[in-house]
Amino acid sequence: MRIKLLYNTDVEALKKVLDMKGVPFDPEAMMDHVVYMFEIEDCSRVTTHQLVRHRVASYDQESQRFSAATKEGVVTPPSIQTNEAASRAYEEALQTVYSAYEKMVTAGVPKEDARYILPTAIKTKLVMTINARSLMHIVWQRTALQAQWEIRELATSLRDLAREATPELWTKIMER
Amino acid sequence: MKVSLVWSSPKPEMTIAVAMRRCYSTKVIEDIEAELEKKGPEYWKFLLAKCLQDKSLDVLEHYTMSLLVEGANEVEVSRLVRRFPYIHATHLKETDWLFSVNARTLVELWKDSEGKSFAESVVAELDRKKVSPLFNELAFGDVIHAH
Repeated sequence: MRIKLLYNTDVEALKKVLDMKGVPFDPEAMMDHVVYMFEIEDCSRVTTHQLVRHRVASYDQESQRFSAATKEGVVTPPSIQTNEAASRAYEEALQTVYSAYEKMVTAGVPKEDARYILPTAIKTKLVMTINARSLMHIVWQRTALQAQWEIRELATSLRDLAREATPELWTKIMER
Repeated sequence: MKVSLVWSSPKPEMTIAVAMRRCYSTKVIEDIEAELEKKGPEYWKFLLAKCLQDKSLDVLEHYTMSLLVEGANEVEVSRLVRRFPYIHATHLKETDWLFSVNARTLVELWKDSEGKSFAESVVAELDRKKVSPLFNELAFGDVIHAH
């Protein structure tokens, strides 16, 4: 998985306005105004299904209607990777699914219909724009030990990038 | 009511184009950005016109801005934020506010009788600061305006 911060609101510009008006900088009050745009690459659709449940954000995701799927582009959970029998079953299932996908596309079925057979393990790419308040909610919810490993990894990276870019807003966040 | 731009997404039209291309490309983001830089503003304009005409306004949400709004009373602001929940407004002092809004909401404000006057002030400020000229022309010019 690869995550990149494409831009974020310039907190200094906000501070300048507050200074001009004689209003003290309050991170809590600025959380709705500081926005981040991220590129997220090569996480599974399992994880993006979990991510988009956080609705106060804007998402645009790579479409499977038009781009071809390949067997190499799947995420394999560590619990399967480290289990020989499970790993074999996973690989066999992928072979069967992708073989059927390719046969359907070759037979003239549009990609948008052939994709119905694809696994949710498939890797995807998306851009997400989100304000600090919503991002902090994701971080709280999805870095918890109860969260699944892949979205924990994603939420941790989002938090680290946001904290590096706008430390003023993230000092109040307690580490889990 | 006086509206001043505090900050906006860098290269707004390119940002919207990146979001559009993300949906239909398997490339990594650096390649999408390089492709868009190479094709230049005419291509961004083509993509923008397409998203506005198709009413695929979700991609506009990636273009965001913060505004200083002076001389607005609480009743006016409350009416606006109740009608447009994606406007974020923080009271600074007296009749001064900090607003954050995205370009999709700006288009929706423009089309709404109660939001139009505020949207016009924002677009005039964007024009004054020469921010997103292609977007302003396409979204708030005669063609889309009439639409």
